[in-house]
Amino acid sequence: MALTLPTHSSPTVIPLRRTPKPTLRRANHRVCVASGGAPLLQVNDLRAKIVESNVEILHGVNLTVNQGEVHAIMGKNGSGKSTFAKVLVGHPDYEVTGGSVVFKGENLLEMEPEERSLAGLFMSFQSPVEIPGVSNDEFLVMAYNARRKKLGLPELGPLECFSYLMEKLELVNMKPDFLNRNVNEGFSGGERKRNEILQLAVLGADLAILDEIDSGLDVDALRDVSNAVNRILTPEKSLLMITHYRRILDLLNPTHVHVMDKGKIARTGDISMVEAIEADGYETVST
Amino acid sequence: MSGIALSPAALSPVIPNRIRKLRPKASLHAQQAFTSDPYVLELAETLEESLPSSPSTPLPLHNLRHASSEALLSTPWPSRRHEPFRFTDLSFIRQSRILPVHLPPAVYAGALSALSSPSLLQRVSQLLSQFHHHDIFWSINGIAAPDLTLIYVPENCHVDNPIHLHYTPPHATTPTPNTMHLSNPRVLVIVEKGAHVQITEEFSNENQNHPYWTNAAFEAVIGEAANLTHSYIQTQSFRAAHIKWTSVRQESSSTYKLTEVSSGGKVGRHNLHIQQLGPHTVTELSTLHLSVGDQTQDLHSSLVLDHPRGYSRQLHKCIVTHSQGQAVFDGNIKVNRYAQQTDAGQLTRSLLLEPRATVNVKPNLQIVADDVKCSHGAAISDLEQSQLLYFQARGIDINTARRVLIFAFGGEVIDKFPNSSIRDKVRSQIKTLLDPSSDSSSL
Repeated sequence: MALTLPTHSSPTVIPLRRTPKPTLRRANHRVCVASGGAPLLQVNDLRAKIVESNVEILHGVNLTVNQGEVHAIMGKNGSGKSTFAKVLVGHPDYEVTGGSVVFKGENLLEMEPEERSLAGLFMSFQSPVEIPGVSNDEFLVMAYNARRKKLGLPELGPLECFSYLMEKLELVNMKPDFLNRNVNEGFSGGERKRNEILQLAVLGADLAILDEIDSGLDVDALRDVSNAVNRILTPEKSLLMITHYRRILDLLNPTHVHVMDKGKIARTGDISMVEAIEADGYETVST
Repeated sequence: MSGIALSPAALSPVIPNRIRKLRPKASLHAQQAFTSDPYVLELAETLEESLPSSPSTPLPLHNLRHASSEALLSTPWPSRRHEPFRFTDLSFIRQSRILPVHLPPAVYAGALSALSSPSLLQRVSQLLSQFHHHDIFWSINGIAAPDLTLIYVPENCHVDNPIHLHYTPPHATTPTPNTMHLSNPRVLVIVEKGAHVQITEEFSNENQNHPYWTNAAFEAVIGEAANLTHSYIQTQSFRAAHIKWTSVRQESSSTYKLTEVSSGGKVGRHNLHIQQLGPHTVTELSTLHLSVGDQTQDLHSSLVLDHPRGYSRQLHKCIVTHSQGQAVFDGNIKVNRYAQQTDAGQLTRSLLLEPRATVNVKPNLQIVADDVKCSHGAAISDLEQSQLLYFQARGIDINTARRVLIFAFGGEVIDKFPNSSIRDKVRSQIKTLLDPSSDSSSL
């Protein structure tokens, strides 16, 4: 699966859902979709600052993710990886100062965070917040119904949702009592990450951004999470993960690996670049 | 709502003092051959046995029971074959095991004026004289209370059914705009050594715009290792004044748990005073005050710890959703010289959801003892930005997210009501107040 594709070379908007050649897809979906998938996310010269301190963190990010591609962003602490993810979901702590983001042919930056989610963008939070007083099942049913409403489907009652939720719970290897607990309240690090993936499984996404989903996970939990992600993502869906570690890359097979440095994508390559990083650190690949 | 309901305003004893067996059981059975229904006979016997025995049943009550017992001897349980019940099937009652709801015989719940036991009267006088902290409203209640509702739970008696005190406001309309009816209900609860009881006080409204003044007082003495769980719900009219005293004295190793949700009144003021009388007491106070209009919700609480190894937790929350709404909290905890190894925690959190909505909070711990674990905190805020984003990031619009988060904020207190039917009722009341347009079942 060694592909090197210049990922920020096509800022023009290509019509949505251009079907890749079916014969090729059957042979190896990742590779052929990567070469033929329609652009899903096009980030062009994105600049953003922290609202409170006015400090610019992103200094012109360029990235294109096509349908069916799996991208990984690596980079030193403070290089802007998580800020990039947060800006994409519309985090109010950041203000976009320049550039454009087109998602499925539409201007993502004009959308409210909930509209971005309903449009098919999902981000797993690095440190998901606790929500005391709101149970996990109540939250999931609410989010699932918001999705159904958007799709013009009737909303479901908690009981009707139950079997659907149970099926998804099994996917992330969690016990049913997980649903009765308050959202992230008192959850261990691993439980929080599984909960993020459970939400992804329930809601689905055209592009899932996993922000350090592997940090704080033990080997078993990491395998569960990766298996779940692999089962959730059909060949048309895309994935953008932010990580420091090689292990999850081996489990999720990125087609593209980017190195972020000082608020920009400094290098783009394939999985082989990860070996260089592991051996010599980011300096060799960033400069 | 389950439990035993009392109306302190009416001050009528629900449990009569003494019921003599109307007739020996043998005579009930002797006439059975006639037309008696064995099921009805058994039910009658169960009910007779469930009543406390007392030599002084008032004559009218005695006569009522006698006549009813006679009638039941020859009355079968209604079935579909009986014309009056042709279309109404009652067989599911008959198929159930019937347990009479009543207080244990030695428990007294009723008017003090109807109390005849001299020893109990003496006990009441002795305990009443020990309550000392007064303010003007305490004294107004003291001179005006027409009677005193007494709940007496004897030693080691566990009352399983919660006792529900329902205070209804006056129905009479006021003759002129500037007049108010004033009622002064007063309740004394005595929970003797090792006894357990749950009491719910509910102050409701008939009409949201009715002006009246409720000036209530509730005193409780909790004996050694005894347990009082107290629920207090206040939803009086938005033009009413609601002033309430709760004064509790706790003997060693006793437990007092209070859960309060107040949302009514133009002014709602709760004076809560708890005095520790011995070591190892447990005190848990949880209150939620809600101001959704031009109203003030005020809690002035004081907890005095004078003995070692007491444990206390106080959680006070208020939500003000109106620009002229106000919440007031003055929470004092005194940890005096001998109250070593006390573990006291106090937390107050306020949500101000409108510009100019006001909260005045003064949480304060006064610690004299030197070996204690005490914490307190106060937070006044709007909703957490990070929590709102979490909802939005999952496709839930911001208004829904706000509604859910505001309700969840109050839910922490509502969840502490021990009785699920009260929890459900209060949840739907609060949901309606926070979002009048919503169907409360949709959340």
